[in-house]
Amino acid sequence: MRRDFLKWCTMAGLGLAAPMAMGTAQQAHASAELPPYEGPYYIVINASGGWDTTCLMDPKGVGGINRLYQEADILTDGNHRFAPTAKHKQEGLSNEDFYARFGRELLVLNGLDYSVNNHSPCSRYMATGKLDSLAYPTFAALVAACQGPACPLSFLTFGNYSATGNLVAMSRVPYLPSLQRIANADAIEGNAAAPYHEDFAQSRIDAALAERRSARASQPLLPRSQRAESMLYAAQVNSKALSRVTPFIPKEIPRQRLAQQAEIALASFKAGVCVSANLSIGQFDSHANNDADQMKLIPELLEGIAGILQRAEEISIREKLVVIIQSEMGRTPDYNQGNGKDHWSIGSVMFLGPGIRGNRVIGATDARQFAVPLNPVSLQCESETGIRVRPEHIHEALRTFAGIHEHPHSQKFPLGIKKEEQLQGLWG
Amino acid sequence: MPDDKVPDDDETQEWVEHTMRMASIPMKTLCQMVCSILLVVALPNACCCGGEEEPCPAVQRSTNALAWFTKEVWIKVAQAECLKCHKQGGEADQTRLVLSDPATSPSSEFQNVLQQNREAFTTLALEKADDQSLLLVKVTGGLSHGGQTVYLSGSTGYRILEEFVRRANSPDLPDDATATEQPAGSFFDGVRMLDDRQLLRKASLSLAGRLPTNRELERIAAGGQTVIPEILDQIMREEAFYERLREAFNDIFLTLGIDGNPDQTVLSYEHFEKTRGWYQQFDLSHIADEKARLQAGYKLANEYRKALLDEPMQLVDYIVRNNRPFTEIITADYIMVSPYSARGYGVYEELRDKFRNADDPFEFLPVRLKALIGRNASENQESASGFYPHAGLLSTFQYLSRYPTTETNRNRLRARMYYQHFLGVDVLELAARGSDAAAVTEKYEIPTMQASECVVCHKTLDPVAGLFQDYWRFDTNFSIYGRRKDGWFTDMFPAGFESEQIPAAERWRALQWLGEKTIQDPRFAKTMAGHAYFVLTGRRPLSPPKDLDDPFYAAKQRACQEQQCQVDTIAERFAATGFDFRQLISDWVQSDFYRADGLTMTETSTERLAELEETGVVRLLSPEQLERKIAAVFGQRWDRLTEQTAMLYGGIDSMEVTERATDPSGAMGSIQRTMANDVACRNVALDFSRPKDRRVLFPDIDPELQPGVSAESDARIRRAIVHLHQRVLGRSDSEDSEEVQRTYQLFSSVIADAIVRGQVEPQENWHCRQGLESPVTDQHYTVRAWRAVVTYLLRQHEFLYE
Repeated sequence: MRRDFLKWCTMAGLGLAAPMAMGTAQQAHASAELPPYEGPYYIVINASGGWDTTCLMDPKGVGGINRLYQEADILTDGNHRFAPTAKHKQEGLSNEDFYARFGRELLVLNGLDYSVNNHSPCSRYMATGKLDSLAYPTFAALVAACQGPACPLSFLTFGNYSATGNLVAMSRVPYLPSLQRIANADAIEGNAAAPYHEDFAQSRIDAALAERRSARASQPLLPRSQRAESMLYAAQVNSKALSRVTPFIPKEIPRQRLAQQAEIALASFKAGVCVSANLSIGQFDSHANNDADQMKLIPELLEGIAGILQRAEEISIREKLVVIIQSEMGRTPDYNQGNGKDHWSIGSVMFLGPGIRGNRVIGATDARQFAVPLNPVSLQCESETGIRVRPEHIHEALRTFAGIHEHPHSQKFPLGIKKEEQLQGLWG
Repeated sequence: MPDDKVPDDDETQEWVEHTMRMASIPMKTLCQMVCSILLVVALPNACCCGGEEEPCPAVQRSTNALAWFTKEVWIKVAQAECLKCHKQGGEADQTRLVLSDPATSPSSEFQNVLQQNREAFTTLALEKADDQSLLLVKVTGGLSHGGQTVYLSGSTGYRILEEFVRRANSPDLPDDATATEQPAGSFFDGVRMLDDRQLLRKASLSLAGRLPTNRELERIAAGGQTVIPEILDQIMREEAFYERLREAFNDIFLTLGIDGNPDQTVLSYEHFEKTRGWYQQFDLSHIADEKARLQAGYKLANEYRKALLDEPMQLVDYIVRNNRPFTEIITADYIMVSPYSARGYGVYEELRDKFRNADDPFEFLPVRLKALIGRNASENQESASGFYPHAGLLSTFQYLSRYPTTETNRNRLRARMYYQHFLGVDVLELAARGSDAAAVTEKYEIPTMQASECVVCHKTLDPVAGLFQDYWRFDTNFSIYGRRKDGWFTDMFPAGFESEQIPAAERWRALQWLGEKTIQDPRFAKTMAGHAYFVLTGRRPLSPPKDLDDPFYAAKQRACQEQQCQVDTIAERFAATGFDFRQLISDWVQSDFYRADGLTMTETSTERLAELEETGVVRLLSPEQLERKIAAVFGQRWDRLTEQTAMLYGGIDSMEVTERATDPSGAMGSIQRTMANDVACRNVALDFSRPKDRRVLFPDIDPELQPGVSAESDARIRRAIVHLHQRVLGRSDSEDSEEVQRTYQLFSSVIADAIVRGQVEPQENWHCRQGLESPVTDQHYTVRAWRAVVTYLLRQHEFLYE
């Protein structure tokens, strides 16, 4: 029976990119047992609402930009400068502890220019590298589509802007127990010992579906139908690999917001069914009482990141895990009447993971928190001749880093960065 | 109480009269008329909603120059870029280039509007600045162009304007024949359409969650498409349609996504302190058992809260159910309340006798609230009428809670959502161009009124934000209504709509004033037509392509234009029928956009595929829709696509997750497999356990009938498969078709394999033989083979999509 199934899969041309209108490709794997995706894995964490970078990686102790500390209080760790928060935080991880643990791995880029300062366009811009298009995929979706389109949970998202460019299906698994529910779909109540159909009947069903898919693929269908039928078939066939997730689902649901999302992503990475995940931690939009809010949220964010890295270590995928930490905007260099800070179009982004040389800070803001232009070749600040580093520069560099910049999917969504403006050696 | 009349305004009246005349014109003809104006004259590179009429040659000759302007300059450059500022009320309305937006004009005015715009462009093109056309200087950021650099010299957009300047300077040049070239054929050439029977199945499942009745199918067989409008109208009067309507409109307005307990967030402490907690004192002493009494209390509170959340969508329901003009979603001078929520507002006693069942928490009636009375006199609501100035959804506490404000946001979120929900404008898209927001903030004292980058949005947004100024409280639990102590902000554009300020006398009823302005705007009808399309397809109408260098730009532009033409046509008819929402749905269902189902040719060019990329409904069913379809086909719901599983299957929570999944992930594929296995398990043996006249899946076949016994038995099995294909998938296959053969092969192969395996149980597995009405044996594995067949069918595209 298994041979029959494989034969039908071969007839259906499965395992190759299905013929998609406009180049979309979702794959159903030719084998009944989808080989696990082995990494690298990508986590993009978004501090949703706009973080105050002066409370973390771009400290300012002058000009009333920050009321929590003075210039002399600013701390360093290797090449990093950061705001002191140990005295201000209630819970979570202080900057001091975070840098002590991860500073050597951490790459920071300051002076990122989002160019606009509204949540919706900024989120889109930061997630995709393209401000003026609703069609572009997020980096997480793009890398999933390029590197593991057959994975059943190839692109996981827990919030934030998550457009896929129609390249890959977006997976939402909001609760850890949900993973259990989907692990053994052909068994009654998920009990592998009690299948709905006997194995021979199940094989016949699968073979008939493969044969039908093959027949439909050769018929003249509308592009939407062609794409939908192909994705549907792939989703069902590839979902069988989800049974591999079960051993990695922790028994207890963590309390922290980020950890709840991360456990789902990490279990899926470990099982080889996921390439990338968008994680989100919200409420950074501190228009009122900025300092209190940021001192609650930044330690929570850092604790979440530390937890992710620790858990990745425990399940032996740390060396394959790339983490990008971003926000859709920064906060103003002055306080409003409600002790809050409003939207600011200059911010920062942080990276760590294999292939990224840490203990480095690229770019800067000046004393009034304006971006200082950057020489894209030397990566030194050059006020007169440098470029304003914007999200498209970051995304171009990320695509190169992930080795997908020449993939047809990337080519379909060009970022339009001139060669001389591409950031050279960003990753070290 | 509600008023049946469309506001008595001269302008509105003229618009309505114009459109009423159009209401008597058949849909296809109307579409062709509108498109003749919009597409043939103004937008020549498109055709007529599938129509095949030739454009009038006289018109064509006289408008080649306009046609070229429209096709190249207007669509690609001016509409996309210049119109953001260069319009009445826009940032650049004091400059020499002031354009009119055809989208805000009736279609009969399109040509005139475009001609005026062309003349304005020509004037600028002919004017010189340093020996260069002023138009080209400005667009490249010269002479302190407020919009800075729009196009770099040499870019595609620039080259289009360069060519326009060349033409403007050489009026004797012969017209470009390509300007009015028509595509080779109709947009829908080569597209296979659903037949009337298939269309009815699709529409009845979509709108009422049921299969067509035999009577309806007979009427279709006899009357064809002429009877479809009447059948659709009947379907749209069924209770299930109203449920679908509420569900779909919540996907748009998301008012179910209110944070916290609605009895506190919707009904504020300041104005409803004495009434909103009524359930805590409700007398349940007649329930002797303490635990049961406690449970009854929880139930009471939950139903009260649900009723409060339901109110906005009940307003939509009420308007449609009672054939009221759909304009009332923004003008209704009432809200909907149930016996439970009425208690929260403190109006139960005045309504008690009007409810059919005062104990039904979900029976809703319209009511007009009195002006709010605060705990402090300073929080009393100003009202010239003595009543709360209701403005449909816009003034409901649910809408205001769902889209709250902050000290610095100043009601701009509400204004933005208003534009999106009621006029189809994404204001933030106006500003989707790189600038240097930080530098602007530093440079200007009031950037939102002075810096062009900011003004482009804020000149539109802030006046409407000002109309919400009486809802200036940030803690909804405490209060929603309340005026700013120092008066409204002076560092914002004054309250109003577009370029019109609200008269001081109207201030107390600002949202009503806004509602009245809104329904006069042609964008309102078009937006509602877009909402109807969303209800049916789960997608919003196409936006114009932006990338002029996209090799498929022309194809995407044509697709967008064709769809927009249909939107405009349907919108005009909507207005003509007194804003009848059912008419909108009916028109969309009968349109080629809804009927398109496949291609008739095997060889299709890449460009043509690009044109058709978004054609066809092809919608992954939502969890709610899938449950209804299972119930329609099998007679019972699966009831597992709820709560967490619904979220996993791409559902929304209206708060954090607000967009439904459109493509199946692996997780969803897994749920589909579970669903197919389990629904087949629950229903196959059960159906066989019933008398034949009550079976829905296998009405004409014996469960023990085996394949390969005789030609007659095989034919009966094939007929049973044809019936299953029809019922489960909506396909009309012949007995000797490839599809039926494939299913037959599955059925017979499973039985053959079982025989080879030997030693199989003579009955269904325990789980799949629960609840049978009579014993069903399975000596020959035929019942389980039929279950495999049904599982196979349930996993198919035709079942999981619409």
